[in-house]
Amino acid sequence: MKLSYVLERILLTVFIFIVVMTLNFFIPRLGVEDPAERYYPPQGNMSEVEYDIIKELTREQYGLNGTTWEQYTRYVNKLLHGDLGNSMRSGSPKVADLIAERIPWTLVLSVSTMLIGLICGLLFGAFAAWKRGRWPDLLLLNASTFTTALPSFFIALLLTYFLGFELEWLPAYTDSNMIASFDWSWDSIMNVAYNAALPVMSTAFGSIVGYAQTTRNSVISVSNEDFILTARSKGISNGAVLYKHTLRNALLPIVTSFGMSVSGLIGGSTVIEQIFNWNGMGTLFLEANNTNDYPLMMGIMLFMSGFALVANLITDLCYGLLDPRVTVGGKR
Amino acid sequence: MKNFTEKLKKNFLVSLLVKLWKHPKGRLGLIIVAFLGFVAIFAPVLAPYNPYDVTQRAAKGLAPCWEHPLGTTITTGQDILSMLIYGTRVSMSIGIITGLCIAFLGAFMGILAGYVGGIVDTVIMRLVDVMLVIPTLPLTIVLTNIFGKSYFMIVFIFTIFGWQGLSRVIRSQVLVLKNANYIKAAELAGASKARIMFKHILPGVTHLLIMSTAMTSAGIMVAEAGLSFLGLGDPTAISWGKMLAEVQSGGALLFGHWWWIAAPGVGIFLSIFAFMRIGMAMEEIFNPRMKQSGASYKLFKSLSGTYIQEVFDSMDETEDRKEAEV
Amino acid sequence: MTEELMLKLRNLKVIFPNAMGVVKAVEGIDLDIHKGECVALVGESGCGKSVTSLAIMKLLNTPPALISVDELCVGGEEMKDYSNKKMQEVRGKKLSMIFQDAMSALNPVMTVGRQIQEVFLTQKDITKKEAKERAIKALELVGIPEPARRYNAFPHQLSGGLRQRVLIAMAFACNPELIIADEPTTALDVTIQAQVLDVLKRMQKNHNTALLLITHDLSIVANMADTICVMYCGKIVEKSPAYALFKKPYHPYTKGLLGAIPKLSDERHVFVQIPDSVPNPMHKPKGCYFHPRCAYATDKCRECMPPLRDVGDGRMVRCFHALEEV
Repeated sequence: MKLSYVLERILLTVFIFIVVMTLNFFIPRLGVEDPAERYYPPQGNMSEVEYDIIKELTREQYGLNGTTWEQYTRYVNKLLHGDLGNSMRSGSPKVADLIAERIPWTLVLSVSTMLIGLICGLLFGAFAAWKRGRWPDLLLLNASTFTTALPSFFIALLLTYFLGFELEWLPAYTDSNMIASFDWSWDSIMNVAYNAALPVMSTAFGSIVGYAQTTRNSVISVSNEDFILTARSKGISNGAVLYKHTLRNALLPIVTSFGMSVSGLIGGSTVIEQIFNWNGMGTLFLEANNTNDYPLMMGIMLFMSGFALVANLITDLCYGLLDPRVTVGGKR
Repeated sequence: MKNFTEKLKKNFLVSLLVKLWKHPKGRLGLIIVAFLGFVAIFAPVLAPYNPYDVTQRAAKGLAPCWEHPLGTTITTGQDILSMLIYGTRVSMSIGIITGLCIAFLGAFMGILAGYVGGIVDTVIMRLVDVMLVIPTLPLTIVLTNIFGKSYFMIVFIFTIFGWQGLSRVIRSQVLVLKNANYIKAAELAGASKARIMFKHILPGVTHLLIMSTAMTSAGIMVAEAGLSFLGLGDPTAISWGKMLAEVQSGGALLFGHWWWIAAPGVGIFLSIFAFMRIGMAMEEIFNPRMKQSGASYKLFKSLSGTYIQEVFDSMDETEDRKEAEV
Repeated sequence: MTEELMLKLRNLKVIFPNAMGVVKAVEGIDLDIHKGECVALVGESGCGKSVTSLAIMKLLNTPPALISVDELCVGGEEMKDYSNKKMQEVRGKKLSMIFQDAMSALNPVMTVGRQIQEVFLTQKDITKKEAKERAIKALELVGIPEPARRYNAFPHQLSGGLRQRVLIAMAFACNPELIIADEPTTALDVTIQAQVLDVLKRMQKNHNTALLLITHDLSIVANMADTICVMYCGKIVEKSPAYALFKKPYHPYTKGLLGAIPKLSDERHVFVQIPDSVPNPMHKPKGCYFHPRCAYATDKCRECMPPLRDVGDGRMVRCFHALEEV
């Protein structure tokens, strides 16, 4: 991998981050002259004088005073020091602290879904490619229409109904004490697993089928390549052809789709978190939306974008390691 | 002349429909879409009750019966079948309208980036990069918070955040077309850039556009259902996503009213399934190499050994061999 | 040619059944190649020559292909009934193949050195270090400068000529008895073509290998091949020692092919062309396959397929009228 490629990717990432950051800064200012109005919308029972005082206080507290440019530089300066601002909740906790508190719980759900999807998907996809055109392959093809047509939140409701209410095997709602009482003991870890089972199952179907489909398509398209014929004509064993030639090349599209799902690890499970009352980033965002907590909303969005950017950067670098053909100015 | 091109365009769509009808996957999709379209258009006639009527206190939480084939809701006593029928309108119309808007915007940006190239290309592609990084759902939530929830807001937001993937695909196809001789010939003949883009390049990517519109429509329907499930959809309309949210909040799970859970689910499933089938059928029609190789295995199983032997024997030249031996 | 027979192929037939019918790709071909001999199989694209080569290597997948062969002897070993596992043991060691487009025939994510080393590693009793040394030696033998450095190069970092040399080195690595070269120079520039052919010829002479050269280009065959087989629509139409064929082609198709080669001494202004194109393999004409394009065709040619007749001097031709003209 060439240094110029690495540098290009890093510069592009930084550039996109700056753009996203700027957009983020301007979104609460959309449609209003004074961003304080966004932060603190007028209430019916408030006199104009009272509201002016409140706006003044809001401006001071959230750095909304001065010209837009002053506000922007202040915002960037704070970000550079790792400060995402303060939430409008009582006690004005730091946005970064709120995120840090919730993120592990979102990752518990999304990472386990991703791992299950990746492992089962790779195995099943490779199997379908091997049995190309026969029942495992056709099963996969049909499964992919079904998993898209049955959105995860509908599957979640069905699973809750059957496994949660009818059979009472798994909890339909997350134990509200789960997070507070978590202390790394075996029991509390098992409790998390018990509570996470339904949410993870709801999303795992789609994830498994998605990876399986990617794997199958890429294995099949690689095995139609000429170099597979060359490898076979050399007299090396089927296993060696599969591992050294087919899978190594088929990995490239899988890495790309893996990277895409990594960038969705934080924001992707909002609906599922909502259904199961799982206190993760998605619920945090919805709470912020309900309380009109703009600093928190924008902080979460910026964090999610940054996370996605870093995930994309790492994916691109991995791609560069795996495929010697990548050059500056785009893949291949 | 105008008449003639009009006719051609019509023919293209008509022939596509005929091809879809002949395709097993496509036919199923077409039938379902036609059915749902019919239901959506004639919803007021078909629905037995007013789905917005929340005053039926006597008929709360009924199980399916003759008066209410799918029962009524527990909280407000609305007729579920009528809600299901009305929900078709939102889902289908948002899916199709947004799908078309995305096709237009994606084609425009893709062709512009691919054909004009240079700084335009760079700007558009960086824009794509930026928009792909911003988390869509949170941004949608913030924007509906700012601009209010409405039907057109939803179409607008889905369009703004849905064209990036398509434009990338179109752009790479345009880059291939750009070097084709007929484009070069048109350039040498002095055709304007706009003319080349719309008269020569656009027809070359039409099949991609039509194909992706079916698939994006399906995706948009999922997204719309998710959005209204979170209570962020059009607040004045009944939609399947919203029905599912009421299922959860209204205690259908607790009381075991499975019909209330299943109804919106079946609606969502059917509509998305139909659009995906059409999309897949079109993929196979435009791109025959994509066809599943399942057919060849079936064919091989059906071939009898004697038939194969006959084919092989028919190639033998007895005379020829004899002569060669002599 | 009294030396031992390295390839003895009798009555090879390959068909591809599909939903519309059966494509008869190869219709009963016989080939003999002796040690150190180079036999060229010449024909237009689609005449079945590449399928023949893959069938000899037993690299055709079933489905889609069905193969029937009476005898397939490489180096005196009958391989007709060899299983895939058994074929793995002989591929690379007894017979190997050089593919057309070296860019796609080499694994893009593996260094060329490792790809050659792999061939050596299929042998028993060899360490990785030895294999590497021999791979570097092999690269040197095909005239690749700085072989030790190029060992670590990826295919896309080499020029087209060097890539093709890598393929040659790979094919000759274990000194097989038979090498099949399928259009080894078609993807290259003319000047590079000559160099690569020189390398191929030198390697063949040094190793005294039997070589089956498959090409559509009679001009590159002239100074390579000892024997030429001309193939048309899955059948051999003329078989002759190279010099005799160039001096006096018998079959009208061969005449057409030769007529299309420009010569330095040419005073012609118009090249002889073969009219029309190769018939659709699903619907081959009745009688002699060549008659629709043949200037000498008679009623007899339209009715029955002429046999491959021995016409003396080691020449064979599939034409009723070949000798009439003489």
